[in-house]
Amino acid sequence: MAAPTVKVARGWWGLAFGVRRTVLRLPGLTQVRWSRYGPEYQDPQIDKEYYRKPLAQLTEEETYERELRKTQVIKAAPATKTSSVFEDPVISKFTNMMMKGGNKVLARSLMTQTLEAVKRKQFEKYHAASAEEQATIERNPYTIFHQALKNCEPVIGLVPILKGGHFYQVPVPLADRRRRFLAMKWMIAECREKKPRRMLMPEKLSQELLEAFYSRGPVIKRKHDMHKMAEANRALAHYRWW
Amino acid sequence: MAAPCMSCGAAASYRLFLAGRVSFAREQGLWKAAASGLQTGTRCQILRLKHSPGVTKKNVAALRRESYTVDFIKKQIEEFNIGKRHLANMMGEDPETFTQEDVDRAITYLFPSGLFEKRARPIMKHPEEIFPKQRAIQWGDDGRPFHFLFYTGKQSYYSLMHEAYGKVLHVEERQDQLRAKGLFSEKPKTKDPIGSRWLIKEELEEMLVEKLSDQDYAQFTRLLERLSALPCDAAEEEFVGRFRRTVTIQSKKHLIEPLQYDEQGMAFSTGQGKRKTANAEAVVYGHGSGKIEINGVDYLLYFPVTQDREQLMFPFHFLDRLGKHDVTCTVSGGGRSSQAGAIRLAVARALCSFITEDEVEWMRQAGLLTTDPRVRERKKPGQEGARRKFTWKKR
Repeated sequence: MAAPTVKVARGWWGLAFGVRRTVLRLPGLTQVRWSRYGPEYQDPQIDKEYYRKPLAQLTEEETYERELRKTQVIKAAPATKTSSVFEDPVISKFTNMMMKGGNKVLARSLMTQTLEAVKRKQFEKYHAASAEEQATIERNPYTIFHQALKNCEPVIGLVPILKGGHFYQVPVPLADRRRRFLAMKWMIAECREKKPRRMLMPEKLSQELLEAFYSRGPVIKRKHDMHKMAEANRALAHYRWW
Repeated sequence: MAAPCMSCGAAASYRLFLAGRVSFAREQGLWKAAASGLQTGTRCQILRLKHSPGVTKKNVAALRRESYTVDFIKKQIEEFNIGKRHLANMMGEDPETFTQEDVDRAITYLFPSGLFEKRARPIMKHPEEIFPKQRAIQWGDDGRPFHFLFYTGKQSYYSLMHEAYGKVLHVEERQDQLRAKGLFSEKPKTKDPIGSRWLIKEELEEMLVEKLSDQDYAQFTRLLERLSALPCDAAEEEFVGRFRRTVTIQSKKHLIEPLQYDEQGMAFSTGQGKRKTANAEAVVYGHGSGKIEINGVDYLLYFPVTQDREQLMFPFHFLDRLGKHDVTCTVSGGGRSSQAGAIRLAVARALCSFITEDEVEWMRQAGLLTTDPRVRERKKPGQEGARRKFTWKKR
């Protein structure tokens, strides 16, 4: 049973990997978050092309990094990641967010059905359209998915800040990962709540994705609402201290 | 014959007893080393009282017990050497060529211990490793300290920094002289490839027998980096080399099994893998068409879920050997995902025999050769699950 250790900030290459750093123990504070891997374990690099690159083409930093990785212990690759060309990190993240109760099989099947539905709809439109329009119709479900989520990402967000006993909604710039998360969360929430009773999730989700792809629909509206509120509360922007 | 055995037994038991107590004392503060002065003179009595203002009688007694004089350590070393010879005699080995590993093996044989904590088991090591390094008395009979930096509080550290900076100035002076003569050539210093690392703070503290702060350590590292970046000669390189340790290359720890051949002359290799409670054993054949058989069943029937089949395919796809090998494996325990993970690990390990060392290193860096240590966390009493607590009710 590994002794509990907290993830220590990495990046100091002089730090020995084999020597286990004792964790700072303050009296009265118990470690509650620990991982089975020690702090010296690094995340695996699964991309095949990274390794196939010939040595002559590498820059100095890359060669140094390669040499460094040879001395580091690496964690095991997670069960959801492979080197397959069909794998998409955004799709995996979205599938995980859709999952309920650990039912990954169901979430993944819903995801594949959604992408299939998107593709079918686009192909129907394609076959029904004239030659000039056919050039503008996007049929790859993955590009539609990515573009739709990108269109749903808010640029600025609101954060409740306590000042003088009241909570004010202060406009705040959002980090990339927060924006992606909000886009996905809004999409899923929209599909779950506003779905007609007999409609299945893939159908509704494909509908919403296509609408978001063309920058219309309820998720885009929610994003614009967020922007408008941020614009309205512009005066409170100085409450932010970071 | 009985008398020497008894004495060595007594000596051995004495040292073993001490080891058990003292090896824990090693972690205690080394400032108590200054208490080695406790044993001489009354002026040190005053020092001792100042050191421990609110300490109880018990602690003061403990402080005194931990100081080891040089004579005591010498006597321990003599006894250790004699005891080693007696032990070699007992085991029927040659006392001249009795190494520390032989000593460890003999002790585990003679004193088998079922204790879980390895540090609590009987050990017989050289006193240098058991007794914490102590500093000799820092001042003479007249009370004057020997070292000129004694009153800084960290004399070894500051003298080391002083020495290193002196070397830096010396090298720069040499460079200036060469430049004045016009013989100076701007040779870029080759960056040291990853093979060594600086000492970490704990190692440096152990070396200097002094406590350091993080800032001290950072200063030290910076100064030595600066020195190593300048063109140094052999003496300076040796000085810097004292503070570097080699770093092991991880992939060297893997032992790659050689290929085996069956009756038909087909090359094959076996590998074992574990994940949570699933255990798998895979046999990978050199030439094949990509068939995978698990417990006598085809992989498409055994793993109806795509994710599991992707996991099986991962090592082959990573090495671009996707239809070139046949696999037969057995797996038991665990659930569907952990069985897939176990087979993946077993297959990756078996494939190591067919590929180059570079590819083995790539697989290791992709995380294919590491056993996943994550297991189900136990439920704790007073909580509903491993982490989930019971619903908090105000009353």
